[in-house]
Amino acid sequence: MIKKKVTIKNSAGLHARPSAQLVKLASKFKSDFYIHSYGYRVNGKSILGVMTLAAEYGAELELELDGADEEEALEAIIEAVENKFGMKDE
Amino acid sequence: MSTAKTQEYTIQGKPAASGIAIGKAVIINSESKTITPTSIKKKEAADHKERFLESKKNLTAKLEEMSGELKDTTTAEIIDTQQQIIQDPEIEKSVFDIIDNKLLSVDFAIYQTYCTFIERLKESGSELFRQRIIDLEDIRDQFIAEVCDQKNLKSIKKGSIIITREISPTDLVSYYEDGATGLIMEKGGTTAHAAIIAKSLGMPCIVNAKRATKEAVKNETIILNADEGMVILRPSDKTVKSYKAKLKAQKKASKLTCSNDFETTDGVSFKLMANIEFEAELDNAAKSGSQGVGLLRTEGLLFGKRVRNSPAEQQEFYEQIVAGTEGPVTIRLFDIGGDKNARRPHKEANPFLGWRGIRLLLDEKKLLRNQLQAILTVAGKYPGRVKVLVPMISVIDEVRQIRNEIEKIQKDLLSSGMDIDEKVPLGLMVEVPSVALSAYQFAKEVDFMSIGSNDLTQYTLAVDRGNERIHTLFQHYHPSVLKLIKMTVDGARKADVEISVCGELAGDEIGVACLFGFGIKELSMVPSSVPTINKLLCSKSSEEFTELANQAIELSSSEELEQLYGEWK
Repeated sequence: MIKKKVTIKNSAGLHARPSAQLVKLASKFKSDFYIHSYGYRVNGKSILGVMTLAAEYGAELELELDGADEEEALEAIIEAVENKFGMKDE
Repeated sequence: MSTAKTQEYTIQGKPAASGIAIGKAVIINSESKTITPTSIKKKEAADHKERFLESKKNLTAKLEEMSGELKDTTTAEIIDTQQQIIQDPEIEKSVFDIIDNKLLSVDFAIYQTYCTFIERLKESGSELFRQRIIDLEDIRDQFIAEVCDQKNLKSIKKGSIIITREISPTDLVSYYEDGATGLIMEKGGTTAHAAIIAKSLGMPCIVNAKRATKEAVKNETIILNADEGMVILRPSDKTVKSYKAKLKAQKKASKLTCSNDFETTDGVSFKLMANIEFEAELDNAAKSGSQGVGLLRTEGLLFGKRVRNSPAEQQEFYEQIVAGTEGPVTIRLFDIGGDKNARRPHKEANPFLGWRGIRLLLDEKKLLRNQLQAILTVAGKYPGRVKVLVPMISVIDEVRQIRNEIEKIQKDLLSSGMDIDEKVPLGLMVEVPSVALSAYQFAKEVDFMSIGSNDLTQYTLAVDRGNERIHTLFQHYHPSVLKLIKMTVDGARKADVEISVCGELAGDEIGVACLFGFGIKELSMVPSSVPTINKLLCSKSSEEFTELANQAIELSSSEELEQLYGEWK
């Protein structure tokens, strides 16, 4: 199991579209994916879970991955977060 | 459960399509009701979980189907998110947990799961997500409808009578094809889409039959007397016998040929056409004596169980309709939006004032072009028979854009060696008051105009015809609506283009008397109304109709017109 902290860079926060992107990406990997944030722990492959985080700009998330492809998955997810999930800044 | 249910019992509703039917009750619960926790046995749990998975699969497929070819990026994204919600692993986990550990039924498990997530979203406080809650509720209800549907997914026997809260037109047609002979709806007004289709299929139908799905017992014989707007449950032998006699007499009477004069007493001729949506209706259209199809609705191709949206499938459908009737066929382009596809992924605050009809088509070019290509190909095969009608026009530029599209496609067809009908008439629907008010300016741009009285009434009187609370305000022969129609006729005449009416008003005696009085000689209606309307128009002279119409627009209410009509007739 590996963990890593990231910060949300989208100025509108992790709203519907980036949430969907995140879930879509994470679902491609076999590893379990959980997100810890301010005392909550949600399934990162669950769109509703990610939505209930309501992570805003600057929110700190701890990513937890567990499984055969955890390294690869973590790398991909971090890259997506850094790239603001491909959104032009709104 | 139904110990006391032995007495003959009558439920009153409103007649929506006339006729009598005797048959076995089939109860269809297509809509989610209040969900209450129902206990299940341990050995049933696997079955309930299986039903969840099956519904998930169906819902996913339906959503894909629903989007049809409407794949602009916003739609695609919204559908993507909805799909993700349906597929959400946490939903499945929670539903399974409730079924396995609390031993509660699948519908309740889904309900509770979604409610929990909705609560959590509300608590999360983010405004952005609060806006998604309505989507979640929508998905929840669709899910529950889906698992309940499955339970009732039985093929019906010939001669059955359908009892339901409400039903989609496509489902109704497939039941009709399976042999259903009557329809009883708890909800809806007489202008509900399904009620209109029932009328067109010649299927007796009543609406507003309160508690019918609860009072009726499946497979029991019931009598639907749609002429008097009632259904008799658990009829006595005596009642059954008397209704069988009535039914026999009715069948005999309908065989008497109606007069096919289509002329007023002073020799002014008129055309009565049929409004249809499915091939199944052609038969009734022909029997009614109608002289062609004045309105072919096409939305049925895009939604429901039988999606036929590819150009080839569409072409086959249009060709079947044109070959199956003798007169002209007016094909209306997809009129999507408003109430015609309640499950569109975009939620709009005012769908009737929103992205519907031509507005949507001009954004969804692929959908538009596929349809035009199919229609124009058929028009080329049957020159002079096909007309193109554009729904929901509100500004002139929309007409011009459509004309450009048609010209481009005609050129393409021609250059690929196909026959075309160079003069295929292009018409617009008069539904929005702006078109009626500037009728001459609009008329100059087209070859014909067709008044859609239902929407024109809705937009003139600001009344949603699907809203039961205010349905009495939906008065399609209100003098102000008639005034707009009169203006439209004047504008069309000045521009020398044909004018017809294809709404419910064209099947209503009072409406028809006024329309004809304004000089409208072509009326399109549900096929079953053709004989009555023919008889009415044959009974008087054109002058008498004109007199009535001139007086009608001076009145101040529908009630006054009803009184005037009573005296005039």
